[in-house]
Amino acid sequence: MGDAIVGIVANPLSGRDIRRLVTQASVFPTAEKANMIQRMLPALEAVGVHRVLLSTDLGGISAAVFRAATRHRGQSRSGPDTRWPEVEFLDGQPIRQTAQDTVDAVRRMVTAGARVIVCLGGDGTARVAAAAAGDVALLPLSTGTNNVFPAVREATIAGLAAGLAATGAVPADVAMTRSKLLEARVADRVEIALVDVAVSTERHVGARAVWDPATVTQVFCAFAEPDAVGLSSILGQLSPAARGDPHGVTARIAADAPEQVLAPIAPGLVVPVGVREIERMRPGAVYPVDTRAGVIAVDGERELTFEPGDHPTVRLRADGPRCVDVPAVLAASARLGLLRHQLRRVGST
Amino acid sequence: MARSITYREAINEALAQEMERDESVIVMGEDNAGGEGAPGDEDAWGGVLGVTKGLYHKFPGRVLDTPISESAFIGAAIGAATAGMRPVAELMFVDFMGVCFDQIYNQAAKFRYMFGGKAVTPVVIRTMYGAGLRAAAQHSQCLYPLFTHIPGLKVVLPATPYDAKGMMIQAIRDNDPVMFFEHKALYDLAGPVPEESYTLPFGEANVVREGGDVTIVTLGRMVHTSLEAARQLAADGVQCEVIDLRTTSPLDEDTVLESVEGTGRVVVVDEAHPRCSMATDISALVAQKAFGSLQAPIEMVTAPHTPVPFSNALEDLYIPDAQRIANAVKTVTRWSR
Amino acid sequence: MTDTMERRALTREQLLAAYRQMRTIREFEERVHTEFATGEIPGFVHLYAGEEASAVGVCGNLDGRDTIASTHRGHGHCIAKGVDVGEMMAEIYGRQTGSCHGKGGSMHIADLSKGMLGANGIVGGGPPLICGTALAAKLKGTGGVSVAFFGDGGSNQGTTLESMNLACVWNLPAIFVAENNGYAESTASSWSVASDNIADRAAGFGMPGVIVDGFDFFAVHEAASEAIARARGGAGPTLIEMKFTRYFGHFEGDQQTYRADEVARARAELDCLKRFAARVTETGELAQADLDAIDTEVATLIDQAVDDAKTAPPPTEADLLTDVYVRY
Repeated sequence: MGDAIVGIVANPLSGRDIRRLVTQASVFPTAEKANMIQRMLPALEAVGVHRVLLSTDLGGISAAVFRAATRHRGQSRSGPDTRWPEVEFLDGQPIRQTAQDTVDAVRRMVTAGARVIVCLGGDGTARVAAAAAGDVALLPLSTGTNNVFPAVREATIAGLAAGLAATGAVPADVAMTRSKLLEARVADRVEIALVDVAVSTERHVGARAVWDPATVTQVFCAFAEPDAVGLSSILGQLSPAARGDPHGVTARIAADAPEQVLAPIAPGLVVPVGVREIERMRPGAVYPVDTRAGVIAVDGERELTFEPGDHPTVRLRADGPRCVDVPAVLAASARLGLLRHQLRRVGST
Repeated sequence: MARSITYREAINEALAQEMERDESVIVMGEDNAGGEGAPGDEDAWGGVLGVTKGLYHKFPGRVLDTPISESAFIGAAIGAATAGMRPVAELMFVDFMGVCFDQIYNQAAKFRYMFGGKAVTPVVIRTMYGAGLRAAAQHSQCLYPLFTHIPGLKVVLPATPYDAKGMMIQAIRDNDPVMFFEHKALYDLAGPVPEESYTLPFGEANVVREGGDVTIVTLGRMVHTSLEAARQLAADGVQCEVIDLRTTSPLDEDTVLESVEGTGRVVVVDEAHPRCSMATDISALVAQKAFGSLQAPIEMVTAPHTPVPFSNALEDLYIPDAQRIANAVKTVTRWSR
Repeated sequence: MTDTMERRALTREQLLAAYRQMRTIREFEERVHTEFATGEIPGFVHLYAGEEASAVGVCGNLDGRDTIASTHRGHGHCIAKGVDVGEMMAEIYGRQTGSCHGKGGSMHIADLSKGMLGANGIVGGGPPLICGTALAAKLKGTGGVSVAFFGDGGSNQGTTLESMNLACVWNLPAIFVAENNGYAESTASSWSVASDNIADRAAGFGMPGVIVDGFDFFAVHEAASEAIARARGGAGPTLIEMKFTRYFGHFEGDQQTYRADEVARARAELDCLKRFAARVTETGELAQADLDAIDTEVATLIDQAVDDAKTAPPPTEADLLTDVYVRY
């Protein structure tokens, strides 16, 4: 099958925005992100991935992994469980400390032939990675709260799944699922969202995160699960749409609407939200944004400002990123006996 | 009028009376109450040697314990002073000045001058100094010369309970930053102290003993040691004038010079290390301004140029005693070309 | 509108004032840069150009009850807090008409009547003082907050870390603003700050830490608004880390050989004034003519300040000995 390459992109700036201040959003230390990567590496090696590409950052994650790798190389090999794949740090390009860094890293991994790209971060990181990954499968891993798209999963297990999918040991039709996505458009500016698009009357991108529900006028959800946190939870309770359903769901938000739902719209924030005109979103159909002026937030972050006359639109698409389905991969691995191991006799290599 | 209370009690009383009179007076420092966050008694200590005991309950919310973060809380006291409070912060041992000196000498001392006369920083920093408790090198220093050196600070060292109360009240009412030095070996010293509130002006030395033969210039605990020496010397017919400087900044030069003009012989007694100390400061002052009156070179009695030793035997050798002072006096009285 | 929205919604007057202040800081610093090169300005100056959104975005949320403390790079904070520009320029020139009568200089400009506790020549000198003014506000019940501005260099100073702990222990109405412009003198902050994000240290003290794009006035204003509201409401301190870059060297005269090309790129693509202007004209909140008028007025103000400073008298010999103490 050729040597499988897995990429790992970690966002050092996820989880440090204003939600730490205005809601009880989690504080996820850089050290823990670095630890997650270090837990993944032996797992990847164990299932046959010998080459890993790692994004570089100024936030301390790649530096910590680099120090660990240096230490690791210096240790004597005491058994197969301590082996790491060869880690190649993708440096040499300027680090802007913006989303562009994630885009650049993902593109380089795609060009280098990575079969799976693990991304550590929140919805925002997954969204940006998805826009750059093309057809290469993603494995989004949550680092913190306020995440709907990436799964909260133990990194070691994610490493096993990424490796089994990348080597093809679990076939792609079992290992990967294709997600939906939303496309928000203001004239020639387009942004994608993996979970929700919200329309806010805020005038400016500002501190980015949408944390004040009073400003939201419309939500569009690619999927809305009843057990999710965030804006999609508004519809997750009233009109759920599963990840696997072809349709999405949209509604207007108005404080005085007769239909009210208590929604966990942010970590620690459960508030009544007024909802009107709930309707299913058909894939491909174009839905208009009615608010005159404001900002469109994608996956909880303000991105696209629009002025009167701009007439923004939102469209549900079926051709979102391919994602590794971790439980499916490991269930398949159990069925296929992929992790069964031969006991080594003393004296044999 | 005067009942007898200790030096410690006198300071406590001064604080209580000023806190009663002026709401802007607050007290802060490590264990100034004690027991903060702990399950037992509040005000468990009232300061490591009990100086602030009782204030915590008497003035709720105005006695603040602090973490061990001198830069932060000494700086906070200084900042609060610029914002209209009159904080009395405790730098527990002056030996700890190293971890907060910037806030004192670069910030508080310089605000008024650097800001063109537009700042008022009425902070008092109380601190313990001096050897004698076998507390060893890092808990026994004097260090007041370092603060005296800094323009913008006032440095005061009461020697008696009476002076302690009056000078603390003065310090709190003073609109400049005041370093208030309390000798740890004096806390149990009792003396007459009026019950009413009173102040003692800074920059006024106290002639605690009159005499025409030799001027002993001294301060702090050494005032008492000097008086002991003076009593011994009186038996030998030598009459010493003992001057308690009380404050090194501002310094009462006139009282010293006047006395020297009368006696012509000077012994300076200073518990601090000899280099760049009050002893050298006074010696230079006298040599420069009263040279014509001098009948003998100036004698200095100081601690040696060493850290403060721990062992009883050594610390007792370190601290100037009455015998050494008496010897110095005899030296100046016997001197001839 | 909710209370939160009302508090944060910027009126036309506020937007004009924000632009005016940022423009004033920018022109002030650019002018000091050129004048310093002539050799007429004594001592050292440390310029704030590029960082305007931080000072103005934060101070735009403050009022007369509030205090700020600054750094050696203090001109921006002084202007944002309302210190008189003419007096500042005169102080930098060492004239008697200066904010400190020529006795402080660039690094010690202060105006306590405006809640400006001073630029500070000591790295980390400000945070402890801010614990004090915040304590005073809390004890007096004024509702005031205190803001400590410090740099990435200052974030490593013991005084800053102690102050963060003390502010949390005493639950003070304090805001710690770490202006991470990438360099402490010539040393990169990505090297000297072990946790790489200064904001990450906040969790260690039990307060929220957020990162804000320091080139974006609106992002700064929003985050600061929340932090200040939190402090006023008695919920304690916050740490805000601004990430941006300074346009000039550590001090004027710094050859800056330690830098790459980030200034050119920042001036072209990230500049806070450009972005502010683009946004407010795009939304129609302000017109280009409004901004141009301010530009003209500011240019005149700075010209006047420099002319006045150059012709003002120096302090006299008598001034040397005054104001060491309150009475003498």
